[in-house]
Amino acid sequence: MATKIDAAERMLNLLALLVDRSQPVTLKQIRAELAGQYSDKDEAARAQFERDKAELRNMGIPIDMVTLGGAQAGESAYLVQRTNYELADLDLSDEEMSALQLAVATVHLAAQEGEQALWKLGAERVDDSLLGRVTVPFQDPNLARVMAAIVSRAPLTYRYKGEERTVDPYGMLARRGYWYLIGWDHLRKAQRVFRVDRIEGDVLAGKRNSFAMPRGMDLLRAVPTERQMLAAGDYEHSHALVRVDGSLVKQVVREFGEGAIERHESDGSAVFNVPCSNLSAFRLWLFAMVDKAEVLEPLEVRDIVIGWLDDLAAEAS
Amino acid sequence: MTRRPSSSRSRGAKKAAAKKAAAKKVSAKKAGVKKTSGKKVAGKKTAVKKAAAKKAAVKKVVAKKSVAKKKVAQASSPVRSRRGPRSAAERVSGLLVMLPWLMKRKKVRLADMARQFRISEADLVADLQMAAVCGVPPYTPDALIDVFIHEGWVIAEVPVVFSRPLKLSSAELFAIVATVRAAHRMPGAPQRSALLSATRKIERLLPAGEDVPVAIDAGEAPHVDELRIAIAARHELRITYFSPSRAERTQRTIRPLRLFSVSGRWYVAAFDEKSGEERTFRTDRIEALAATGKVFDPVRSSRDDDGAWFGADVPQVTLRVKPAAAWIAESYPTVSRRTLRDGSLEVVLPVTGEHWLRRLLLRAGRNVEVIAPESWRGLSADTAARVRARYRAG
Repeated sequence: MATKIDAAERMLNLLALLVDRSQPVTLKQIRAELAGQYSDKDEAARAQFERDKAELRNMGIPIDMVTLGGAQAGESAYLVQRTNYELADLDLSDEEMSALQLAVATVHLAAQEGEQALWKLGAERVDDSLLGRVTVPFQDPNLARVMAAIVSRAPLTYRYKGEERTVDPYGMLARRGYWYLIGWDHLRKAQRVFRVDRIEGDVLAGKRNSFAMPRGMDLLRAVPTERQMLAAGDYEHSHALVRVDGSLVKQVVREFGEGAIERHESDGSAVFNVPCSNLSAFRLWLFAMVDKAEVLEPLEVRDIVIGWLDDLAAEAS
Repeated sequence: MTRRPSSSRSRGAKKAAAKKAAAKKVSAKKAGVKKTSGKKVAGKKTAVKKAAAKKAAVKKVVAKKSVAKKKVAQASSPVRSRRGPRSAAERVSGLLVMLPWLMKRKKVRLADMARQFRISEADLVADLQMAAVCGVPPYTPDALIDVFIHEGWVIAEVPVVFSRPLKLSSAELFAIVATVRAAHRMPGAPQRSALLSATRKIERLLPAGEDVPVAIDAGEAPHVDELRIAIAARHELRITYFSPSRAERTQRTIRPLRLFSVSGRWYVAAFDEKSGEERTFRTDRIEALAATGKVFDPVRSSRDDDGAWFGADVPQVTLRVKPAAAWIAESYPTVSRRTLRDGSLEVVLPVTGEHWLRRLLLRAGRNVEVIAPESWRGLSADTAARVRARYRAG
């Protein structure tokens, strides 16, 4: 077994050779050029080379393979085209560079991709941000796969809530600590939103350039907010009147706005008109206030809430 | 032929190295090694000292290799860092980012560069030394990667290969664009036009030159602007703060230190006069805020942003959570969690107050059960009965 040190050095030399040459080179030529770095035995050298090639491709290095004709008919040759390898010079001004640095210092992805991009663009990582710091998760291994599929317009297949889905991925949004994938769901024949962390197992990407991107999508609106979730259901009553104690009125106004206030009561409490079509979301919202809120109308909704409470109160006895 | 690969190289192509250029390289390198890396590379250092010129660098690599080989059977090797050895791929991909970055700058302090790339100085020296013996055939000095270390500086003069960075991966592309957009949406963001024009330039990297369809919603940010100004100017603040987990509203005097957003909610870390310690406040629960007129002395913060939220003295609860209430494990910090055979989760959560636990149990309903402690097993039913009482009265 070659040691790690050898492998790294050999890999770097292999890549340098492939980038340096404008013509494809065969493994035989590579072994001759990198004298002594690959095994003298054909089989072992092939295995080492395949491993190096796979590792380099894994890093995102585009190693092309061509099959030669003529005297070397049938032999495989390899090359890295500079245009595919090298990042185009974006000609970023100093001000743009520092703006990027500020952005990366502000938005802290829980992974290195942001910094990595910053370095490749020639900027530096800085630690301080006057804007405060936003932490966004980025560890889910499916994230990189989904992003690659969006760029290459490849449909994704994965299991979600126990069903096999095929989705044309359109875009991604990070909200409330989660990443959402917005895409066209082949099963439902409609645009749908998926939480990336709820995808069961790995996502598989299909053929590139399989679909067209919709124009002018508003990602921030594509994923419903918590407030919108309350209204996103099929319960027959769309709204309920809820009395909220004075101590919580400000918080609820912050959520739904002054416009949701039906009336103010003399004791400081207020009656709000809030959506309830999604009963389970409504329950979570209502019970977050514990005993500081009470559903008044419709009576049917009030009875449902009482039913929940009776059920839970009976648990112990 | 049974020669080992590296030694054959040192005898072969690399022997042709012109002494003058290489001598400069290695003597400089020696200085760098001496200065910066401690005990870990002591063995290598000796090797470097003994040998001369270009050969030395190669020998050193050989020495390192044989050390590594010898120690394979043993549990630990002096060559390995504490985190265990870095894989070949890790080292190479790191160099592919560092080298173009360095070549653009030509000269950077070793310590700064190590800090920039979050790598130990010893590892950085090892990687750069490896790069210095790599290049393109015939491996003459002018065909090797021209990087050396001199008196604590890393210097890259003549670009041979790897002077341009590798293309951005899709994840990097999304990360940087999402990052810039989120920063742009932030209240009080400076350099707005530079942020926008940088995004537009980066978007040229997309094959079709379209938008990169990614966004980060950092959440609504009430008071964030005022707090940012107060932090910068060290203004003491008087706030009215509502804590739903304790169902109480308090007046507090705080010295705001840091502002941050986690999971789409904004927090301010501040020295809290009432408790005499640093506390974290959610900005959307600050109902009123005013400067007291006092300016406080700079304070060194006692902890990191998202570090310890709870002390050791906070009580804990063990819950069995059905999949339908998995949001509990997702939205609260857990001490531990494990999946049970029936698919439900057993989680241990720190409990910031009994009211907080009552609220959680009521919201989750039948999807959650208290396992321990015994004293909280009836809390869910008791809470439901209390709330139920309200409906009877009405």
